[in-house]
Amino acid sequence: MNNNELTLLAKKSRVQLLELAFKSDGPSHLGGGLSMVEIFTVLYGNILNYDIKNPEWEKRDRFILSKGHGVLPFFIALHNAGFISQEVLYTYKKNESDLISHPVMNLELGMESSNGSLGHGLSMAVGISLALKKRNNFESRVFVVMGDGECNEGSVWEASMSAAHFKLDNLIAIVDYNKLQSDGNSETVMDIGLLEKKWESFGWDVISLDGHDIVALNDALSHNANNMKPRVIVAHTTKGKGVSFMENNNTWHHNRLTQTTFDQAIVELNL
Amino acid sequence: MKITGKENKQWSRLGSRATYGQAILMLAEKLDDLMVLSADLGNSSGLDRFKATHPDKFLNIGIAEQNMIGVAAGLAKEGSVVFASSFAPFITMRAAEQVRMNMGYMDLNIKTVAIGSGVSMSFLGNSHFGLEDAAIMRSIPNMTVVSPADCAEIVKTVFAAAEYPHPMYIRLTGAVGFPVVYEDDYDFQIGKAVEIKLGTDVSIVATGSMVYESLEAAKILQEVGISVSVLNMHTIKPIDTNALDNLIHKGKIIFTIEEHSITGGLGSAVAEYVSSIPNSPVVNRIGLPDEFVITAEYRYILEKYGLVGSHIANTIKEKIKI
Amino acid sequence: MTNKEKYDQVFIDSFSITADQLNENLVYQSVQQWDSIGHMGMVAALEEAFDIMMETDDIIDFGSYNKGIELLAKYNVVI
Repeated sequence: MNNNELTLLAKKSRVQLLELAFKSDGPSHLGGGLSMVEIFTVLYGNILNYDIKNPEWEKRDRFILSKGHGVLPFFIALHNAGFISQEVLYTYKKNESDLISHPVMNLELGMESSNGSLGHGLSMAVGISLALKKRNNFESRVFVVMGDGECNEGSVWEASMSAAHFKLDNLIAIVDYNKLQSDGNSETVMDIGLLEKKWESFGWDVISLDGHDIVALNDALSHNANNMKPRVIVAHTTKGKGVSFMENNNTWHHNRLTQTTFDQAIVELNL
Repeated sequence: MKITGKENKQWSRLGSRATYGQAILMLAEKLDDLMVLSADLGNSSGLDRFKATHPDKFLNIGIAEQNMIGVAAGLAKEGSVVFASSFAPFITMRAAEQVRMNMGYMDLNIKTVAIGSGVSMSFLGNSHFGLEDAAIMRSIPNMTVVSPADCAEIVKTVFAAAEYPHPMYIRLTGAVGFPVVYEDDYDFQIGKAVEIKLGTDVSIVATGSMVYESLEAAKILQEVGISVSVLNMHTIKPIDTNALDNLIHKGKIIFTIEEHSITGGLGSAVAEYVSSIPNSPVVNRIGLPDEFVITAEYRYILEKYGLVGSHIANTIKEKIKI
Repeated sequence: MTNKEKYDQVFIDSFSITADQLNENLVYQSVQQWDSIGHMGMVAALEEAFDIMMETDDIIDFGSYNKGIELLAKYNVVI
């Protein structure tokens, strides 16, 4: 897909995301889902190597949603990529469904791991990256998406330290830096300080960009820098991006759409 | 701390977490050296009003539960009464070692409050469920484990915990609309089970959300002539052995009921004690299976695993061969 | 008591405010007591006062004193 196509897909994805959330008739993590639409659009629209007919293909790229509650754009991307049919997509949040508020490991559906508890995904990614190198698989890359609130967890930094130590240049982390977390403004809850500098000091190759800029995302994700370092993309995003009354409004961290709010949002997105 | 039936009904509407928030707010009026901690779940713990009213008594540690327990330990050591809340798996497993070292080994006066324990987190799934939290906490020396049966008992537990100079794990089951067990004030003491209903044929020992469901089961069984007693074992550790002695003495079959795995929780605690007494009755443990459970609406999950009044009644009927 | 008097009294009691605050500026979180807990309490009090059960979506959409009047009409309560 070229950048124009990706831009259109991102727009369509936002509408699909809201429809899915609305139809689920309950609360969803809307804010933190909307902030990652471009990230998922670029990953699944252009960057990741996968084969929907062979989900366990050895040479596939591995993707882990460590920010587990960001399932909305993930499920939409998996649907648009062909892993999840429309029918299965709409089992989201139905009793006993495979699609719940966090990913549950299921390679057929395109989910590499179970997540939900924060701060676990990067460690697993380190393990996978090591395994790939051990098996001389130099094609596959490992991608992990985390939240900035998630970076409060010490386990993230244990993993970060080890990734640099093991020189995992087949590993790319993306931080959805939307500056909000469950209890509010991240700086007020637990100030993470200079995020880019922290990753840099841990030995990572850091790219800081606008997380809604498809061109920039495409460029940063297409390859690692060939400097024996893992790469992190600190993507500056807006929680609730795309819907004016949700942007930077933390009441949409985990909330349900009513007919009124759904209609308002769709009108805006279709402009 | 006295409660009224009317208050209990209001709290019941708000649910377990909001009731914790209300209780701790009331406590703050009486307790100067109170510190309340959260790991970015202040709003989810019903603490927004507390944060606004007593900002000097509140600390948000961000999404960092291990640090939260360590920080709680430092505060407790310097004399504060500390309450720290998060979801059950994050307190009991993510921060298990910090809990063990600080609350267990150093016996520091911290109360951890697990909001959304059991399966009330519904669609958030197994990563967020408290399936085995009581089992883990119970196995740590010096730990007290309490599971309140309704919102009034949550309030009483919080107040009692503040006066209790030992580490405690408070396990909150139930959600919004947590059914009322106590319509009037009653005597609550940590470590003392409460006889909610007398009966002569079958003995139920329940905890947390399952106390109400047991009472519902007892009503159903009464209609077919089976008389069931229901004992609220709110304190799982130290377990009330006197109350269990009474049940052993009655000699009737015992059922334990908990919104928790049958491995290691209330049922295991009861079975451990009862099996040490000669000629004691059989203990049947009813709870969640030793599995990661399905994800669905809260009530749906309870029904699936037989943890609602009608199913419990059926299970009992089958076991006693009616 | 008229419906309006009942309605107003619920707001005054639930949020510890005065009658002069009952206007279009009275919205969710505009006064300290109208937080998420206060909201649940206010809704419960209205349900009791008017003997109705509000739907979840209406409880969520109930963002202001004025909006509430509009929503209650759905339950045949005319303020």
